[in-house]
Amino acid sequence: MLSVLIKKDLLLEFRSKEIVVSMAAFGISVIVLYALGFNASSEEFLKFSPGLLWMMFLFISVLGLHRSFSIEKEFDAFGLLLSAPVSRSDIFLSKWISSFLFLLMSQIIVLPIFFLFLNVSIPKGWLLCILVFLIADLGITAIGSLVSGVAMRVRMSEVILPILLFPLVTPLLISVVKCTHGLFNGLLFEEWKIWFQIMVTFVLVFGVTGYLIFDYVSEE
Amino acid sequence: MGKFHSKSIKLDIFNLQISIPVNKLLFVLIIVMFAFGLYLVLIVTRVDAEQQMAQKIFYFHVPSAWSMFLAYFLVLIAGIQYLRTQAEKWDRFGLASAEVGTLFCALVLITGPIWAIPIWGTPWSWEPRLTTTLILFLIYIGYFMLRQYGGDRKQIGRLSAIIGIIAFIDVPFIYFSINLWAESAQAHPQSDMGGQPTDVLGTFLFMLLTFTILLSYMIRYRMHVLKLDTKLTELEHGI
Repeated sequence: MLSVLIKKDLLLEFRSKEIVVSMAAFGISVIVLYALGFNASSEEFLKFSPGLLWMMFLFISVLGLHRSFSIEKEFDAFGLLLSAPVSRSDIFLSKWISSFLFLLMSQIIVLPIFFLFLNVSIPKGWLLCILVFLIADLGITAIGSLVSGVAMRVRMSEVILPILLFPLVTPLLISVVKCTHGLFNGLLFEEWKIWFQIMVTFVLVFGVTGYLIFDYVSEE
Repeated sequence: MGKFHSKSIKLDIFNLQISIPVNKLLFVLIIVMFAFGLYLVLIVTRVDAEQQMAQKIFYFHVPSAWSMFLAYFLVLIAGIQYLRTQAEKWDRFGLASAEVGTLFCALVLITGPIWAIPIWGTPWSWEPRLTTTLILFLIYIGYFMLRQYGGDRKQIGRLSAIIGIIAFIDVPFIYFSINLWAESAQAHPQSDMGGQPTDVLGTFLFMLLTFTILLSYMIRYRMHVLKLDTKLTELEHGI
């Protein structure tokens, strides 16, 4: 059943392309604003780039998460989804996985432009880099899907979502910025291992919490 | 129904029937305890050799932080109970605890910088505990906004219970990561209470008790008002 739900989200996106395209377009605009606004040399930029990079990713994930949940509101698709013989926890998992994939796709578009425009050199340990990105994306979308599920039920959901999500996601943001800083500056894994561990724990805890609690989010 | 002082203690002294409402008694007790607490803080306890009078705010700052965490823990309990039972009293309990907790949260955020100005020369230095408190404050602003826009009462109760639970699960992550992040930040004034002289420790524990009683009184009072509020809405809508 889970695969059907994910397939539904992906199919909708492949037909309309509205989520990934808007996420990537927003990301690129933010990068251009960074480049023009900071006017910094590449050494100076290396210091701030991990933070700026992940703030941008956080902004675009809010955009994607909101869109991915508000689609369900149109024509009362969510109500129909709830009346289908689907476990509500599977709805959470499908939203988590599909928003993770959307974030990943837009990162693949945006990241090369970030490196190019801001003169940040591509880190050497790229395999580890990919792993860090995957885990951080899983974390953002885990808590993001849970909070979006809550925010979607109320008026002004587009305002409530970032207001609730940003403070809740701070531990993950700090950790991934520290990991990315380690990667960009070629530090040993041992030096930032603890931040990596925090990220993994965050993903596990909020993945499980979302899975268990989403039943109540989607109650009618 | 309309009165907060509903339960009473009945005394029988020399055949004279006296009934004292518990809440009124608690209210008087809190005032007396605060007055005595002020006496202890300002007159009995020693003046710290290094921090002088600035250290005294610690007797209000730390109990406020304790009350905040206790209140937010109660939001968690109320949230779990509400999701399990759907009983409205748990929603009222959760909301009342969240409101009172956020009030104490604001007190922590105000008293922290007041202490920091003379000691560190700057009101805000991203000290881990204060930063954690600030982030909790922001989460709870979102919590109240969610309640504001939440739709029908059952849905508001359910959604805010979920946010209350997530917020509490997030606290260890926030504290641990910010603590690690701000390793360079200054240490807090008092970390080892066990090694403190009796007058300092005694006053501190007394203030802790006073704040805890105040917290429970405020939550009870707020729950009472919320209950009246619900009744009023029901009457207005003719339910």
